[in-house]
Amino acid sequence: MTKQRAQLGMAMFLISEAVFFFLLILACVNLRALPIFVDASGWVLTALLLAGSLCVWRGWRWAALALGAAFIVGLIATKFSMLTAVHGLFVFAGMISIAAVPVSALRTVALYWYFFTAVWLVIFLAASQA
Amino acid sequence: MTAWLCAIDHKRVGILYMLSALLFFLAGGMEAMVMRAQLAAPNLKLIAPEVYNQMFTMHGTTMIFLVAMPVLTGFGVYLTPLMIGANEMALPRLGALGFWLQLFGGVLLYISFASGSAPDAGWFSYAPLSEKPFSGGPGLDYWALALLLITGGSIGSAINLIVTIATERAPGMTMRLVPLFVWSTFITSVMIVFALPALAASLVMLLSDRLLHARFFDAAQGGSPLLWQHYFWIFGHPEVYIVVLPAFGMISEIIPVFSRKPIFGYSFMATSTVAIAFLSYGVWVHHMFAVALGRNFLAVFAAASMLIAVPTGMKIFSWIATMWGGAIRFTTAMLFAVAFLLEFTIGGLSGVAFATVPVDWQLTDTYFVVAHIHYVVFGGTVFALFAGAYYWFPKLSGRMLDESLGRWNFWLVVIGFNAAFFVQHFLGLLGMRRRVYTYPDLPWLGALNIISTVGAAILVFGIFIFLCNVGMSLLFGAKAAADPWNAWTLEWAAASPPRLENFQEAPTVRSRRPLWDLKHPDAPDWLPVRGDA
Repeated sequence: MTKQRAQLGMAMFLISEAVFFFLLILACVNLRALPIFVDASGWVLTALLLAGSLCVWRGWRWAALALGAAFIVGLIATKFSMLTAVHGLFVFAGMISIAAVPVSALRTVALYWYFFTAVWLVIFLAASQA
Repeated sequence: MTAWLCAIDHKRVGILYMLSALLFFLAGGMEAMVMRAQLAAPNLKLIAPEVYNQMFTMHGTTMIFLVAMPVLTGFGVYLTPLMIGANEMALPRLGALGFWLQLFGGVLLYISFASGSAPDAGWFSYAPLSEKPFSGGPGLDYWALALLLITGGSIGSAINLIVTIATERAPGMTMRLVPLFVWSTFITSVMIVFALPALAASLVMLLSDRLLHARFFDAAQGGSPLLWQHYFWIFGHPEVYIVVLPAFGMISEIIPVFSRKPIFGYSFMATSTVAIAFLSYGVWVHHMFAVALGRNFLAVFAAASMLIAVPTGMKIFSWIATMWGGAIRFTTAMLFAVAFLLEFTIGGLSGVAFATVPVDWQLTDTYFVVAHIHYVVFGGTVFALFAGAYYWFPKLSGRMLDESLGRWNFWLVVIGFNAAFFVQHFLGLLGMRRRVYTYPDLPWLGALNIISTVGAAILVFGIFIFLCNVGMSLLFGAKAAADPWNAWTLEWAAASPPRLENFQEAPTVRSRRPLWDLKHPDAPDWLPVRGDA
């Protein structure tokens, strides 16, 4: 029951985040305020997050943390964009969660990580099309 | 003190929500009285125009985000576990976090006064007025950051309530058997999860514009001020129902108990709550009819806005049908519930008027809007809150509120409220703009405004009587039994006030009136012969 509560709670939180990022991305697409990735930086950042998701899925939390940290550093190194900055804040919060939660809660936090990887893919795709 | 600061018990967190809402209610009320004093006569200059702008901005923001939402959340957090036969919330720490985020948001908003630049762009802070070139001080930054915190807190509390209702119900309590207040709380929480992120997205963009030189709402730089209006009202119209649906739930609990009849049309009541929530996401443009949008666009949103009156009307008819032929007891709680029906209907009817595009074009941004929103939010939500306070105070405190003072409270509030706000319909029809800090000496404007100000003073006195009643009852009030109203829902099966563990053992539920079943084992509700609608 405890796991069910936590997963339902996380699902509700992710729904609210989905609405939030949908509206934010929509505004950025509409106003042509999407991030600009120079050379292969976007691909590198995407690979880092995907690899992080794989590590979370396998339960390798410290590897996931290292990849998350590399993603944040890479993000700071790229040209500033409000959309990627807000996304980066959520990834940072996810890193804190992964470091802090007990092993039993890792599956629930993993949902959060997968979600923000998916959001990144949408941002990257939209930015690539622009 | 530490026990309250670290509280995660739903009853304490619920009371903390109510107390913080009460404090902010007093602050918002004082701001309203400053405005009414300024408007008491034509050409008055009691305060500076800039201060007046700050007053109406803080009043609106306070009453919506720091009073209406928290107090209803407080009732939800306190009563939901009791009503569904649970001992605790599903995610109690998240619930407590929600409260503290909301409180810190409120404190941050009021710190802006100390910075010497309180927000002054109205409670919906339209761009470009809220942009740096037009609101240069830090007031709008405080406003946006405070609302971001409040948004986070509200979403946290809403998630806690959703998970609690979904997973903690007593054995046998299916969703077809939960009390209507719990239904309302559940739907409202789902609405918060979907609606408040729109506000958060708008605020992030506003802060980016103001602090990071972004250009989301700056037309000169390729942005769009209309984007703010769309996003704000995608949140803003569901928000109206977020502060009204729990009030509907309260009325749906109170009227049956004091009419000695089960609610008429339970299924329709629950369905109409879902319908209102669903439709509320499709009507945001009716706040923007004055914007140059396409004719077909306006027609669709006008129709949708009128459509929402149908499920709302179903509720009104259900409450009247519940009272019809009942053995009505006119306690103060019931008086407020009946007055709610009348006042909210007036607010609803003026809402239908606004759904008519040509009428909206004439009346938008006049005092007619001010009258409408107060009939909905005060006449609806606050009247229901008074009814709920008189009904559930014995459960919260273990003491009865005084009925004689309650009647003084009721009549002063009814007279004061209608005197203050009914005349504002006429002010609007006469063309008086909202948010003007003074007005010329034209026929009727002065007379109607002084009536409104006197009405507001009577209303304040009525609220003062309520506060006296609460204080005196806590000190000297008659002790309340577990079930002083001979009610039917499970919260009345717990002690008054409830113990730390609400129920010794989880109650088994077989009907919508579980306490009736316990009290009448010879004729329980779940036998087909007693089944209600």
